[in-house]
Amino acid sequence: MAKQKADKNVLSGSPRITKVSFFGRVASVFQQHFQQIFTSFSELWKTPFATLMTILVLGVALSLPSVFHVLYKNTERVTDQWDKASEISLFLKKDISEQRIQVLINKLGLYDDIEAVTHITSHQALQEFKEMSGFSKALNYLDENPLPDVLIVVPVAQAMNIAGSKLLVAKLKREQGVDLVRVDIDWIEKLQAILSVVVDIVIAIAVLLLLSVLLIVSNTIRLNILNQRSEIEVFKLVGATNSFIQRPFLYVGAWYGLLGGLIAWLLTFGLVQWLHSGVISLMGLYQVEFQISVMNLEEVAILIAVATFLGFIASYISVKQYLVKIEPK
Amino acid sequence: MILFEEVSKVYAGNFSALKEVDFHLKQGEMAFLTGHSGSGKSTLLKLISLMERPTTGRIVLNGNDISHIKGNDIPYMRRHIGMIFQDHRLLMNRTVLENVGLPLLIEGYNQYEIKRRSLVALDKVGLSGKEDYAPIHLSGGEQQRVGIARAIINQPPLLLADEPTGNLDPKLSLEILSLFESLNEFGMSVLIATHDLGLIAKMRYRTLTLKEGIMINDGLMRERNG
Repeated sequence: MAKQKADKNVLSGSPRITKVSFFGRVASVFQQHFQQIFTSFSELWKTPFATLMTILVLGVALSLPSVFHVLYKNTERVTDQWDKASEISLFLKKDISEQRIQVLINKLGLYDDIEAVTHITSHQALQEFKEMSGFSKALNYLDENPLPDVLIVVPVAQAMNIAGSKLLVAKLKREQGVDLVRVDIDWIEKLQAILSVVVDIVIAIAVLLLLSVLLIVSNTIRLNILNQRSEIEVFKLVGATNSFIQRPFLYVGAWYGLLGGLIAWLLTFGLVQWLHSGVISLMGLYQVEFQISVMNLEEVAILIAVATFLGFIASYISVKQYLVKIEPK
Repeated sequence: MILFEEVSKVYAGNFSALKEVDFHLKQGEMAFLTGHSGSGKSTLLKLISLMERPTTGRIVLNGNDISHIKGNDIPYMRRHIGMIFQDHRLLMNRTVLENVGLPLLIEGYNQYEIKRRSLVALDKVGLSGKEDYAPIHLSGGEQQRVGIARAIINQPPLLLADEPTGNLDPKLSLEILSLFESLNEFGMSVLIATHDLGLIAKMRYRTLTLKEGIMINDGLMRERNG
């Protein structure tokens, strides 16, 4: 009897018998989102070949920027080892006294950005030059020692970079008794300028490739929307809002991005492993011990998050462009 | 329930589909809408179901003026209208149960409630036991019943049917109309567009007749036989 009454209520006319409570709706929205996330994933595999092709294209497009990133990261590690202006040579004036040199050494010892100062007297420098140049006999004919006293300054680790070295050099040049300051950082600056250009090119290529990811996903979602036109019309006829209808498409876009990101990670990992032995042999020629650094967990997470976000955004663009225009006829 | 005040609809190319149509369908009333092809029946239904907007005039649905309704409000207004189509408009890649439960899913009901109500609605239209079928495996009449179950599941105050018996044999057509009558008895307003004058003649309901976009008759067409 009670069941019959309930059944009658279900089908009775206006006014409506039961309404969904606010909390019921909120819970239901979460439930629907959860369901749609997994439903959209299974939707992908209804056309496995097309889905696989799309994901592979996305993976290749995303793997190139990530491979560039790994290469740049490793290049930076290599140059970082050479990037250290480890010593600065201070050539002192010829007429500076021994006492004044000692005062200067003591003063330099108080600098925060100087680790150590070594004094090479003009006499030691000449002896060394004689030994290394092989002109010892010729040098004996000189009336006086032409070489000045030299102070070898070793900066602290924090100052062993181009900016730190430049700052220190500027300070050292202002010291009394210092004739010339030399630090060989020109080639490092050139290398860094080249790297900077390479980075700019890589960024430009990466932007183009990411744009291509947007276009690929966007076009795929557009085709999905057009294929499901009649279904969308039915949804609209029975009172579905645009946000309800667009949700599965947005999730599909995000799935494309996520799976493309995973493929990109695998491709990057494979490519880096493939390059590994060649790079080790090359570095061995320069007596440099070097291990290629692959993507760490954080970088993998960023790659996948960016790919997922791109997929979502691309889908959103398509949905806004096409889905809202579909109206039942 | 539905109020039309001097409603006209002019399509591109200056084609007048409806010309100053006036009528009032009361709450709980059942009526037929008839006329030849191109008379404006479909346009009138499209105006009520918000698929089209009137060029001039005023349409009031359930106390709301829908002549200039905002696009964002249309889905919510459509939830108060059950729509039945000649071509059923079912989702062929979903089960009968999923088709019927669609309006409740959209309204945010939980799965348990959707299933419970869908089964009751299917029982009401005589399709118990077919909930797991794909619509493609059902006959035309059964598909139409699925469409009816979907239209009534969220208890709309108004039911619109566009040629609901167009593809059915006379016996099935009468069964479907009997179903509409029983729904009307529950208090639903029902407006059925059909050009099957024989069928209308067998029923005893108000009939709105359109001809070239003009309402030429509003009343009982004929007493039911027997």
